[in-house]
Amino acid sequence: MSRIKTCVSLYSLQDEYLNHRMNLEQCMQFVKETGAEGVEILPDQMIKNTPDASQEELDKWHSYLKETGLKPVIADIFLNTNLYKNRTLTRRECVDLLVKELELANKMGLHLVRLVSMVPYWVLEPLLPYCEKYDVAVALEVHAGMAFDEPRTVEFIHEMKRLNSKYIGLVIDTGIFCRRFPRVVRNYEMSIGCSAALFDYIEAQFTEDGGDYHKTFIKTGGKFPPEVDAKLTDHDRLMAPIQDGYENYPFSALDEYMPYIKHFHFKLFEMTEEGPEYSMDYKGLLQYLHDHDYDGYVSTEYEGNRFTLAGHPMQEKKQIAMQQAYVQACLKEIQG
Amino acid sequence: MFDNNVFIDGTCRNVVENGAVTGFEMQTNITYYRGIPLSMIEYIRVAVDGQDVPVEDIRISVDQIDWFSLKEAETVTTYKWEYGEPLYVRVVKDGGLSAGTHKVKLTVATRTAYIPIPLEGIKEREVTIA
Repeated sequence: MSRIKTCVSLYSLQDEYLNHRMNLEQCMQFVKETGAEGVEILPDQMIKNTPDASQEELDKWHSYLKETGLKPVIADIFLNTNLYKNRTLTRRECVDLLVKELELANKMGLHLVRLVSMVPYWVLEPLLPYCEKYDVAVALEVHAGMAFDEPRTVEFIHEMKRLNSKYIGLVIDTGIFCRRFPRVVRNYEMSIGCSAALFDYIEAQFTEDGGDYHKTFIKTGGKFPPEVDAKLTDHDRLMAPIQDGYENYPFSALDEYMPYIKHFHFKLFEMTEEGPEYSMDYKGLLQYLHDHDYDGYVSTEYEGNRFTLAGHPMQEKKQIAMQQAYVQACLKEIQG
Repeated sequence: MFDNNVFIDGTCRNVVENGAVTGFEMQTNITYYRGIPLSMIEYIRVAVDGQDVPVEDIRISVDQIDWFSLKEAETVTTYKWEYGEPLYVRVVKDGGLSAGTHKVKLTVATRTAYIPIPLEGIKEREVTIA
């Protein structure tokens, strides 16, 4: 039977943290106040000198966990393949770096790490003995723009199935379930120079049969219909390719991957006053997960912070709290 | 996307060493959402009143103890620019900035682990030197 639990990624509080309005302890206290059970962290963001964090840093993390009672769910880790300007890291260097991240995760009391999208599949086999040693599973993030049609994601999934270990899986970012283009992104990009014509076109690509701008971009090679192109500026053409990170998959895209899914990022661009998120149907997804016996966490990942208009207040805490309240209410209804 | 992280307000000042003004300095947050080793800085540029300063005159530090040129920084992997902590950017220039008001523009770009293009942020500030 499924038991879906809530979590907040501290990524959601990055502006509060960066500008020293909240420290790590205050961020974790806030997560507790939202009613979430778990906490997710990017060690590179909030644990100093990761992956070689000092004992003092680790002690602080553990004391905050104890104070809040939050369950440490997952660390989001990266692989700096481009550590050097003049070359890409070798396979051995890549694996060595990831082993250090697994060791840190173990010291932080974690049993799961998220590998950032595009991590090469060939790290998995050499990593497995270390996953077992540290009792930490690795899960590749499936993120909009780099999801099930991205060759490196496809290769990872193939290798994951071949190795078939409880220590290898996937993290799904719900940005792949955008039913419409986030309006906070449109408003932000227009505030810094994009034209309405570009976003009118992008929005029109989101259709009920699964259309989205990612698919259109691939199909057209990034070319616009003449009547749209005539209205675009050079800035529009420069910014258009990075608007493909919002996809419109049906929930059933997860059917074959459910046994491997370890965690969900409940991506959040904008909770609206009416209740649900502007682009994503969380309730529909939670029902799907319940029906498919998902037993794990769904974690708030607020990303509206980077699309906040100049001169407007940062709404990280408000948006996180709104999403948590909504998701918790949905879960109560669905799970009882 | 990370323009707001660049060039912390009120941090631009002349640098005085042994009684002489040897340059000017400013602080910036990272153009990324996580900390990275200094080797992952793709480039830094400084312009004063519309004129780019020579890149070889730029020095950077995370601790104000050890300073690196941008060329040197390409191999610096054990000093980490932490998220939420400033990078000190110094321009070596006899006399520093002249008294009065200047437009100082700072550009910072970092390499990320999975995005093919560097993440750039730019901020120009009006700076008054007493």
